[in-house]
Amino acid sequence: MILDLHAHSVKSDDGRAKVQNYCQWIKARNIGIDGFVLTEHRQFDDQSNYDDLAEKHGLTILKGSEVETEYGHVLIFGVTPALQQAFDFTNIHLPLAEVISACEQHGAVAVPCHPGRKRVGMAAHLETFGVPEGVEIVEVFNGGSRGDEDKIAQQLAEDQQYMGIGGSDAHIVSHIGRCATEFPVDIFSQQDLVCALKTKKFKAIKLAVEA
Amino acid sequence: MTIHTLSDVSFGEQLPTFTPDTGLLNVKKFAVAAGWDAPRFTDHAAARDQGLPGAVIPGIMSQGFLSAMIHHWAPTADVKKVDTVFRAPCIVDEIYNVEGVVTDIDEETGEIEIDLTITNQAGETRVFGTAKVLLSQ
Repeated sequence: MILDLHAHSVKSDDGRAKVQNYCQWIKARNIGIDGFVLTEHRQFDDQSNYDDLAEKHGLTILKGSEVETEYGHVLIFGVTPALQQAFDFTNIHLPLAEVISACEQHGAVAVPCHPGRKRVGMAAHLETFGVPEGVEIVEVFNGGSRGDEDKIAQQLAEDQQYMGIGGSDAHIVSHIGRCATEFPVDIFSQQDLVCALKTKKFKAIKLAVEA
Repeated sequence: MTIHTLSDVSFGEQLPTFTPDTGLLNVKKFAVAAGWDAPRFTDHAAARDQGLPGAVIPGIMSQGFLSAMIHHWAPTADVKKVDTVFRAPCIVDEIYNVEGVVTDIDEETGEIEIDLTITNQAGETRVFGTAKVLLSQ
C-alpha cells in the first residue's frame, strides 16, 4: 500500500486544498497512491471526519500533525486525545525531546520532516544542538524540496541509520502524491499506520506525476 | 482552446503554460509603474548586498503573471481572487514557468478553482496558490 504521509488541507494556514478535491484529483489523474495523511500545521484536526470521502473514493484518509521544534518541523502519526494533552501543538518552540518522549508514551510516532531544509529542517540544527536522541525515522523525499534538500535528508538518514519516509507536503490539490511511502501491509487507521512505521518495513518513493 | 463558458472547462484541465518576460528591463518598467522602484527589484548587485540571491521579481508582478495566464486562457473570465504563497524568491533574468490547472468546478455558481504554480528551470515550486474564477454559464 502506498500512502502520501505529508499533506495539508485548507485547515492549515498555508493550505489551499479541499480534501474532496485531493480525492477527485487522485482518481482523475490516476495518481499511484492508495491514500494520504493530513498533517495540518501546529494542530490536530479534531473536527473533520473524512470517512465518507474515503469510502466513496476507495482511499485511506488519515489525520496527523506537523509541529514545530528547535530542530525544525516534525510530523506526528497516531495522535490521541492524551497526546494532545501532553504538549501544546500550537507552540512553535517545542523541545524535540519532549515531543518524542510524549509520542513514545502515547503510542505515536514522531518523524522530522524536510530535514534538509534551511531553518525548518533538522540537519540545519545539528551543529547547534547535536544529534537528538530518539529519532528513528526522517522524511527523505519531500515534494516541496528545493536544491539539494532531499540529498541532505538522505545523507542524514544514512549517517544516523534512520529509516526514511516520503510525503508530497502538498498544499494545493495538484501536488498530492508527488512523494509517498510504500508499505507491505494494508493501512486503514492511525493505529495501522503507527504499527507499520514501528515495524520499519517501508520505503520512501518518488512518483512520476503527469502534467 | 479559448475558454468562454463553464461548459468549456473540465476538471484537471491544464491552462497553457506561460513563460513571462522576467528581464531586468521589464521588471524595472513594472516596478516604476507600481511605485516599487527599489534596488532589490532592479539591481542585482544591490540586491546581493541586501543578502538576496539577486534582484527579485516583485510579488505583485508574479501575481500579475498568474492573472495574465488565466486571461490568456479565458479572456472573459472574472478573476475573483488570486491567493498566493511565496515559498522562495523568483529572481530577475531567470526563466520561470507559470502554470495553472483546474481543480474544482462549482456548476451552481459558475466558479472554478485553479491551482497556480511558478516553477524554475529545476522544476522547483517558487510560488503556489489558487485562483477563484467566475465564468458565465
